[in-house]
Order: sequence, then structure tokens, then C-alpha cells
Amino acid sequence: MKQHNLRTVIGFEVRRALSKKRFWFLTLLLPIAIGIVLALVIFGNTVASNNFDNQSDAEFSFTYSDESGFIDPVIAAALAGTVTDGDAEAIAAVRAGGQDAHFVYPADLTTTPIEVYGVDRGLFENGKYVDIARQVLSMSAQDQIGNPMLTVLAVGNVPVSATTFADGKVASGLMGVIPPLIFLVMFFLIFTLLANQMLTSTLEEKENRVTEMILTTLNPNALISGKIISLFIVGLVQALVFLLPVLVGFFFFRSTLNLPNIDLSSFIVDPAQMIVGALIAIGGFALFTGTTVAIGAVMPTARDAGNIFGALIALMIVPLYAGSLVISDPQNPVVQIFTYFPYSAPITAMLRNAFGSLAGWEAAIVITGLFLLSAIVLRIAARLFRTGSIQYNNRVSLKAVFSRSK
Amino acid sequence: MASSEDSLVHIDHFKMQFAGVTVIEDLSFNVQRGETFGFLGSNGSGKTTTLRALLGIIQADSGTLHIDGRPFKPEDGSRLGYLPEERGLYKKESVLTVMTYFGELKGLSKKAAASWSMNYLERVGLGDKAKSRVDKLSGGQQQKVQLGVTIMNDPELLILDEPTKGFDPVNRRLLMDIIDERKSNGSTVLMVTHQMEEVERLCDRIILLKQGRAEAYGTVAEVQNQFGGTMIRTNYSGEIPMSPHYEVTTRERNYAELTLTDSTDEGEILRELVNAGVLVRSFTPSKLSLDEIFVKVYGEQNEPGDT
Repeated sequence: MKQHNLRTVIGFEVRRALSKKRFWFLTLLLPIAIGIVLALVIFGNTVASNNFDNQSDAEFSFTYSDESGFIDPVIAAALAGTVTDGDAEAIAAVRAGGQDAHFVYPADLTTTPIEVYGVDRGLFENGKYVDIARQVLSMSAQDQIGNPMLTVLAVGNVPVSATTFADGKVASGLMGVIPPLIFLVMFFLIFTLLANQMLTSTLEEKENRVTEMILTTLNPNALISGKIISLFIVGLVQALVFLLPVLVGFFFFRSTLNLPNIDLSSFIVDPAQMIVGALIAIGGFALFTGTTVAIGAVMPTARDAGNIFGALIALMIVPLYAGSLVISDPQNPVVQIFTYFPYSAPITAMLRNAFGSLAGWEAAIVITGLFLLSAIVLRIAARLFRTGSIQYNNRVSLKAVFSRSK
Repeated sequence: MASSEDSLVHIDHFKMQFAGVTVIEDLSFNVQRGETFGFLGSNGSGKTTTLRALLGIIQADSGTLHIDGRPFKPEDGSRLGYLPEERGLYKKESVLTVMTYFGELKGLSKKAAASWSMNYLERVGLGDKAKSRVDKLSGGQQQKVQLGVTIMNDPELLILDEPTKGFDPVNRRLLMDIIDERKSNGSTVLMVTHQMEEVERLCDRIILLKQGRAEAYGTVAEVQNQFGGTMIRTNYSGEIPMSPHYEVTTRERNYAELTLTDSTDEGEILRELVNAGVLVRSFTPSKLSLDEIFVKVYGEQNEPGDT
């Protein structure tokens, strides 16, 4: 049924949330921090990768001693390296600034570190000494193996394609788990980021004494629905802002950041799993926001409501602490309780759905339960809001609210 | 009692209890279209409860509460201007944002609401505050914004619950001007107030609520008559005699106020005083003021906070 003024409420709530400097400060804080870290990593990696090239241009020279016998003098010479036996003199020369660097390759390279001495060129530039010391050793070792393929095989860095079967069908494996887990991540992100906003959004009508004026222009159901929908929209905006640096990093700086080259087409998307995941996430969101609104309507201030809200958060995230049990033993009684108890159900069921242990009938029960309970809780929340929001300074008596018929 | 057919507000046998305590015992009254109606009563007599029930904010236990022939619904909010006793605004939003939002809720387009708001703010000297946050405004400035929100939809019915409560004299004047303006535009005004001089100046009819019932109901003159209402103010020399026709309610040196206790003609009282040897220098009969009636009706009550 069309609700009077619902669109106006959504527009107002979304606009004012997105126009707050505080919202953008908090929302951008994490991406900016990630961006700074990424920038540092990119800068560091760029400097490191350039070091070898720079060394080829003989920007710095080095001396070295080799007790291991693995260093090929020709390769070292090509990189401006000169062998020496006197480590002490060479180190003294570096200390005095007469020589750029000196490397000491020990007899047992597997247990004893390579000693690298260099003239300080700043935090990022100094990394070039270590890079070149390793590069000389690596190229020498490859040269001794004599076959580039063998070198790769020795490192073990070879692609492997594994296929497993479940119920006579090819199991989706990790590539099939990740897509439905996106709903769990989104649910968790939106809820934790917006928890405080959910709680205060309905309390503010009471705290600002605007309830009576509001209730003469719209039904409490419309107000609450509008607030929930706008919170969802704001949450999506926030999630997108968080995802942005990750996507930018993945698509534009993958090689610089040394990120694994994930083939997106290798993800296995099961439509049924995705639909179940989406429905559980939406049902869970509606249930938690409805409950939050009800708490806000009963309590006189945000501080009073905070304690009960804390318990609600705990109920929601407790399945994450039992995550390994949920994944490994879905029939365990504890996991079963978590699956069907409404407030722990969303995260438990989304986990089980992603790992393929949530049967169709179980999903149907959980989804139906979440939507039914959400509808009931929203109705109760609306009634509590109507009564509670004009009791400006007192906690609402539930007995009084429900003793009145409507 | 006026016919319910002509009335914009119709309340019939309204009853209300809270936690077993009767707040409204049995209340009936009508507010006619275009009139200004005073809803009077002491603190705790159930005025605010009645308004909230009339507007559907709380649920009545029983009785009929109609606006324009049917129970009020939020969809009718575009025809209503309501200034509640507990009033406030979204404090962390800008003045213009808040006014525009309420305008939209009351059925105006966003553009029309913003335009009206700017004109109103200019009129009340707050044009430069449109983009300020509400909580950066003084209390008096917030009251002006609140008044604007109440009337911005050109309401057919204006319900004002203690409208002058907390208002400074400037804003009280503004409010009175607005009520006069609304009256001349044909709006119906229903107001709860304790300011009896305002009632006498503005109201066509009134109701006095006491312990959940109508203690008096009608035009101001009718209510004054209902309470026996004639008082004689006199300056005199001598000794005012005891009489079954009046009661000396005030006596200060050579001045006295006599409240008539029956329908004896004022001329008869004058003769009685002269015959008793009183030298009467002035003799002014007048009706009881609403303030005096209010004190007479509620004087002995010791009420808790309003409900």
C-alpha cells in the first residue's frame, strides 16, 4: 500500500545524512587511510623495482665477499660489483663514504643472513642495496640451474587447477563461496557503520520534540519505513565509498601492489545461493532496524537506549565467533540454534549459505521467519513510536502501550 | 449547543483513561467553521489529551472525535496547522531545510515550500538566518520559525496548544497578528490558553474543562452570565451593610467590590446602600472577567502537571 509522504521522508533523511560533514569525515576516513597505505606501498614498490634498472646504469657500485661460492663474478660485475676479501676494509670504506655498498655472502645462505652495508640514501632509496644483493644471488642461482623452467619449478610457483565433486556434481569450492559471502560482508558493514545512526534516527524526533507535528502529517509506519529505507540507501553509499579504493587498487594498480591476479570469471555464481543470500540480508536488515527503532521509541534518550542496543549487537555478531563451528559442523545443536534464533540467524544462515550447508527448506524457514518477524516488529515499533515519542522524558511502559487496543 | 453539521470540529462523549485514572470523563463540544474557540482549563484538566486524541496522536477510549465530519488522518495534514504544547524543530538542520521539509509534508511542492519560507523569514526579520542551523538561533527566533511551520500551508484549521507559552512579548504580538490574519482569512482557530485577556479579545466561544467535564460552554458573554456574573465596584464612605443579595469580595479603605449572589437589579443594591447611610461616590456594575471566573472555577483545585 502506498504510504503518505514516504518519499518525502526518504528524500529528507537521505539528503541530510549525505550533507553532513561528519558523515563524510567518518566515511572517508578509512578509504583515505587505505589510500595512504596503498600510495606508500606503490611508492615503495616502484622505488624497489627501479633499483635494479638504476643499478644497470651504474648509479651505485658495490663490493662483495662470497664464502658461499654461489655468486657468479660475471653477473656481479655486470651489476657494477667487485669481489673483495677484506670485509673490514670494505665496510670502513662504505662508512667513510668512499664506496656505495658492500655485501657479505656467508657460507650457509639458508641459516646466516646476507650482510648489507650501504651509504644512507634515505628511507626508500636504502632498499635498493638489499634488492641488488638479493638480485645478484638470485641471478647467479638461476644461472647455475641453467634452465628457466626448472627455476620456476624449484620455486613451486606453478598454476594448479583442482576439481572436487559433491553429490556427483563438480563442487564450486572457494570460487563459489566468495560471491554469496558478499551479502554477509555488506550486511555486517552496513549494520556496524550505521548502528548509531539507526538508534538516534527515531530518537531525534522525540529529543527534538517534533513528534506531534510529524504525526499530524504522516503515519508512524511511513516515518519508520522511510527512515529504514533511507538508512539502507545511506549504507549502500557508504559501502561503495569503502569499496572504491579496493576497486581502484585492483583494476589500476594490481601489478604495482603485487596483488594476486584474480580471474573474475573464475568465480562461480549460483543464482539460487545469491537470491537466498540477498533475501536473508534484507530480512535481517529489516529485523534489526525495526528492533532498533522500537528500542529508540521506548527509551527517553540515546544514552538510555545504548545499553539495550549493545545486547542486540552482541546477539548479531556472536555467530562470527563460532564461525569455524558454523562452517565445519552445521548440524551441531549450537549452530542449529544460531540458525533459527532470529537475531543470530542472518549471519549464521548467510555463512552456511555461502559454504553450501544451508538446505533449501532451512533457507525457506529462516527467510520466512525473518520477514514475518520483521513485519511484526515494525508494527510494534510503530505503535511504540506513536506512544513513546510523546512521553518525552520517561521510559515507555510496554504494559500501558499494549493494554490499549487499536 | 451548536449543530454538529455546521461544525468543523465535533467531539461527542469523548472518554479517556490513563493507567486506570480518568482524565476525560465525558466531553462533548463543537467548533464552528470560521470561529475562534477557546479551550480552557487548569493544568491536568485534559486539554492536551483531547487535542492529541482529536488529531489521532493517541487513541481515544470511546467517543466521537471528528474534523470535518471524519476522524483526522495524516493525509488531512495539509489542511491543518498544529502548534503543540511540546514543540521543537530538527535542531541540527538549517532553518530553510526544516521549513521546506515540513512544507513538503503538508503537501506543498519543495519549491513552493522553500519560496514561502524565505518570504516568511524575511517578514519576521530572519531572512539572513535561512541557512543557519536551528540550534544556532535564539529561543525567540526558533519560536518564529515554529510559527511559520504551523501556518505555512494556509491551514483551514489552526490548533494552538498554549501558543504563547514561553513566548517573549514580541513573538506574542506576532502570534496574535497571525491569529487575527488567519481569522480574517476565514480559518477556524481552536486554542488552548491560560491567557484570559487573549481569550476575551480573540475568542468567539469557549469551553471550560474541569475534571474531565465541560464546566461551562458558550460565548464569552454566556459563560459570564452562567457564573452569575455581575460585580459592582464602588467608592464610598460609611459602612457597607450585610445583605443576602451580594457578597463583599474586596474591601480596601473606601473601595469595595460586591459580587451579586442573585438576580437582584443593580439599582436595588444602590438604593439598599443609600438607605443604610452609605455615601456612594461611584457605583460601577460590570460582568465577572474570565480571569475571575477562572479563579472561581479552579481556585480550589490543586492540580498536578498537565495531561
